[in-house]
Amino acid sequence: MRKTKNLFDIAWTYFLLCLAGFIFAFPCLWLIMASFSAGGSIYSFDGFFPSQLGFNSFALLFNDTVMYNYPKWFANTLFIASFSMIIGTILVILTAYVMSRYRFKSRKAIMKTTLVLGMFPSFMSMIAVYILMTQFNLINNHWGLILIYSAGAPMGYLVQKGFFDTIPISVDEAARIDGATSLMIFLKISLPLSLPMIVYTALTSFTWAWSDFILPKLLLKQRDSYTVAVGLMSLGETEFARFAAGSVFIAVPIVLLYFCLIRLLVEGVSAGAVKG
Amino acid sequence: MLEAIKKGGIQVALSALFMGLGQLCQRQVGKGLTYLFLHISALWFFLRYGAVMLRGFITLGERRANPTLNIEGDNSVVMLIMGLFAIIVLIGYLLLYAANIKDAYNTQTLIAAGKKPLRFSAELKSLADKNFYRSALFLPILGVCVFSVIPIVFMILVAFTDFGGNTVPPELVSWTGMDSFFRILTLQQFAPTFFMILNWNVIWAVCATALNYFGGLGLALLLNKKCVKGKLIWRAFPILAFAIPGFINLLAFKFMFSYGGPLNQMIINAGYSPIGFLDLDAKWMARIIGLLINAWLAIPSSMLLAAGILSNMSKDFSEAAKIDGASAFQIFRAITLPFVLFATVPVLISQFIMNFNNFGIFFFLRGGLYIDGYFLASDTDLLINWLYNLTIDNNYYSIGAAVSVVIFIITSIISLTVYVLSPSYRQEDQFK
Amino acid sequence: MVKIISAITVHLLALILLLYWFGKPAQTAQEDFGFEPILTKFTGELEANVTLRVLENDTAIKQGFFEELLQAFNEEYAEYGIVAVDANMDQYLDLENDGPYGFGPDVLYQANDQIMKYTDGQHIQPLPIRELNCYPYLDENAWQAYTGTDGQIYGIPVNIQAPVLYYRKDLLPANWETEWDKNNNGIPDMIENWTDMYAYSMQIREESLGSRYGYMKSLWDVYFASGYLFSYGGYVFGDNGNDAQDIGFAAGESYKGLHVLRQLASIMNEDCIDDTITKIQYAKLASGEFFASMTTPDVYTLYINELVLSYQAEGLSAGEAMEAAYENLITAPVPYLPASGDLTDQNSETIPTIMMGGVNGYAISAYTKAPNAALAFADFATSYEMIKRRHELLGIVPARMDNASDAGGLTDIVNANLSEGNIYIMPSIRAVAQIWTPVGTLFADVVKDPFRSLAEQKFISDEQLIEGLLRASTQVYDAIWTLQ
Repeated sequence: MRKTKNLFDIAWTYFLLCLAGFIFAFPCLWLIMASFSAGGSIYSFDGFFPSQLGFNSFALLFNDTVMYNYPKWFANTLFIASFSMIIGTILVILTAYVMSRYRFKSRKAIMKTTLVLGMFPSFMSMIAVYILMTQFNLINNHWGLILIYSAGAPMGYLVQKGFFDTIPISVDEAARIDGATSLMIFLKISLPLSLPMIVYTALTSFTWAWSDFILPKLLLKQRDSYTVAVGLMSLGETEFARFAAGSVFIAVPIVLLYFCLIRLLVEGVSAGAVKG
Repeated sequence: MLEAIKKGGIQVALSALFMGLGQLCQRQVGKGLTYLFLHISALWFFLRYGAVMLRGFITLGERRANPTLNIEGDNSVVMLIMGLFAIIVLIGYLLLYAANIKDAYNTQTLIAAGKKPLRFSAELKSLADKNFYRSALFLPILGVCVFSVIPIVFMILVAFTDFGGNTVPPELVSWTGMDSFFRILTLQQFAPTFFMILNWNVIWAVCATALNYFGGLGLALLLNKKCVKGKLIWRAFPILAFAIPGFINLLAFKFMFSYGGPLNQMIINAGYSPIGFLDLDAKWMARIIGLLINAWLAIPSSMLLAAGILSNMSKDFSEAAKIDGASAFQIFRAITLPFVLFATVPVLISQFIMNFNNFGIFFFLRGGLYIDGYFLASDTDLLINWLYNLTIDNNYYSIGAAVSVVIFIITSIISLTVYVLSPSYRQEDQFK
Repeated sequence: MVKIISAITVHLLALILLLYWFGKPAQTAQEDFGFEPILTKFTGELEANVTLRVLENDTAIKQGFFEELLQAFNEEYAEYGIVAVDANMDQYLDLENDGPYGFGPDVLYQANDQIMKYTDGQHIQPLPIRELNCYPYLDENAWQAYTGTDGQIYGIPVNIQAPVLYYRKDLLPANWETEWDKNNNGIPDMIENWTDMYAYSMQIREESLGSRYGYMKSLWDVYFASGYLFSYGGYVFGDNGNDAQDIGFAAGESYKGLHVLRQLASIMNEDCIDDTITKIQYAKLASGEFFASMTTPDVYTLYINELVLSYQAEGLSAGEAMEAAYENLITAPVPYLPASGDLTDQNSETIPTIMMGGVNGYAISAYTKAPNAALAFADFATSYEMIKRRHELLGIVPARMDNASDAGGLTDIVNANLSEGNIYIMPSIRAVAQIWTPVGTLFADVVKDPFRSLAEQKFISDEQLIEGLLRASTQVYDAIWTLQ
């Protein structure tokens, strides 16, 4: 009896998984197939998939760089996203850790303020960001974008704070008795324990910078300095296959990153951690 | 501070006159010099730039530029922002000034009590220990101030000017007080549209947040099951959706649901007439499609989040419960959900806000429509899309800013209340 | 206590005084300027050793014309040390936000409404046009598009953008000379009259059971579709497009134009409601699924490219395919409309179709450091040879009359249309930006009507059409004025 119930459970689980996999993969699969379409236009399609397959659009993407310098865009994006990821993750983790572990006077005020600040419609402040950047002379400059992404990252510390809240404080106290300073506790104990969260943070901040469209559009004026997202949007309307190829290729680093980091993310270190 | 003013001695007075002097007299050379240096550089900043910036903030420009004649003039918008910047520096300076007085007084009391004041190097060292939070938060707060607070305060201030329409640089902008707010109140078409959109906006935000949250959690739980083999691969499917930039996915979806798109292609091939999934008659259909597409885009990251949090959950409870004969659903309700909820209520709130202000979905899927009965908006537009129509499409910056201030007040009151009442805020230490 | 309070007071007072004293502007004198000195930037003396950043449109870059132009100019002006380079920016420029901070181009090529919207803020430079070599060769109407409310001229016309009809000669019925040429003038009727285009499209669709179509075009597109309103007396803004208080979409008998749109939709399919056809027209005309479409002259090469591919797929060699493509792709002036506004009415008198158009040209940014060199570039780029090359490579319709008469054919017709007033030049005031969404929504609503079930149709009677136009006009008015 129990066994059949188990079997049913397994079948049901796999059915749901297949369904979810299908739902998520299908539109992507469509985009991937479109990128391998031999004709350039979206309408050389036969129902859902292109009528002829070929590598044209990828060849175009990397060879025809007079107007649409995809390789350069890709390098730009990689540069911006990597540095934003590193700096942003450090700042977020620091903020979240402090907000979770320390009790100081202005703490609750800061927490409420950040919550409220996030509520202001973001595009409204774009005018201000643009003018600030012209005053700091950071237009057409990738560091300007990195600065904004990194500076904006701590606003989203709540996820990470929630995580630190679930790590028992007993660990810290034990270390403190042994004479460790706060900085040491943070570096040597809390950080290793929060590896999954760091990975999650890194992944999301990388993706954010990687796929953002509005800010680079605002701050990068030169075609050569574009990121992939802005560049793809500037493609002519008849170049759908190239657009699809560019969109598919842009996903590669994130998928790679995912496969490298997923073990850390999910299995994490929970097995060995002291539980409260 | 008051105490310092009441009971401070000559050293405190010296510090109040010129930062660092008191400390120097108290033989705290390192600290005194640091304060002195900060004071002088602040003065230099104000003389060189700050004073002009502050004046510009008040006047918003006195000379109109004319580029064709090479007449350089004032750019009101730049002046407004740089004035704000100077105000933030001024506030920082005043805080430093207060800290300087307090510090001089502290040293005075310590000396009076016969104790030896801390050396400057020791105080610096405490930044890595007792005052670790100060050093850790310095950069984040600075960044947030410059790139989030200044722009937001700027937009709020814009609501009190006449910026927009034909009054854009090089025209000079001026302060107009509450004019924009009165204008919103007195405009008849405005209120009906506002409430219609607000209504839909709230429905949208609630549904979207719930859908994304439970979708992600469900997927994470499904993948957490022991019986599932090849988790790496299963998990990769949603990641694929996550890896392609959202706006590209939105464009692809827009095409898929368009009249010439593959879905209608199949419908036509099957012998039916095509459906206008997103066209101007498709009110609720477009709304529901929007919800589903939004879920498609957001579930992957909420799945990752839930997976991260579940990995941190102790298995002891649930295993104990299982041995006691609890059903899977009971375990979920009594153990898993409270745990995950505890860790994620703040996240839930921020996701609610993000969905409330979700600009991209309907901008990309169904932009460029003004439906009858709405004032410059369509029936799928959220408040933020409407704001966009007002400010960017039609250039009414000050009106748009006034509307966003109103929205901002409403949403912040709601979410602050929820947040302050939530268990994660009130019992932060429960799981420790 | 007193000591400290006075110390604090002294400190703060000193701070406030310093801020006040140093905050005073260095000079407050306001120079007054009259009408005269407005052109004084153009001394005629070329600035030496400067780099000019030139913004061209994407097609010119893709087809290699721009490179040729830059090369020719740089050779010619090498002795002055003037170098022109690609501004390397998006063709949809925002000079208002880029220029003041020094990120804009020196010379820009844009449509007239795009250029003229910068005149209010003095972001572009009025030009001494009489010094230019192209001045005598340009029509009054072309200059008109660049004349500001102050009477100054802000741009140099290069080419005329007005919709033309594209069709496939090899898809005409074999017997068109006997059956479809009532007036025996050697031009097929469906190219001459919308009524016949309507009939022929209907015929194609019925014969092919809906797999092929005649005339196809995204009908909600305001740029192309508002022409039907103008043909029956509608207009955008009154006072030659300068009075945004007077919104004229519902003026005259413009509802007839709306009715024409509704009828045109009924010979197409649902694709005309969104911008599907805009994207597919090149491929579908090439594959023979569409017989005709309407768009601007500058996309000629896009059609040719697709046609060549399609002929090659049918087995022709590259050379033959090229030849066949140029042979069979015909551009023609937009057909005539029936005065009655009913496309099934074969006996009505015909009236010319007035289409919305524009004049693209060069302008000089007010933020350029080298206005004289920039003017030299604009002058060079609008010389006879360069316009000729532009015409050859891009298929544009030159505004210069000497080029136009040499090019002949379609160019002549478009130029004639311009001088006869059959091209409605897009107004040049800022408020134009507010017409697109309200009017586009109305058009989408009207052209969806034939695909609704009978009970749900909204635009059957003339009154309903007029009401729709009035509603859209009100929305435009609201967008421009209510919050002003």
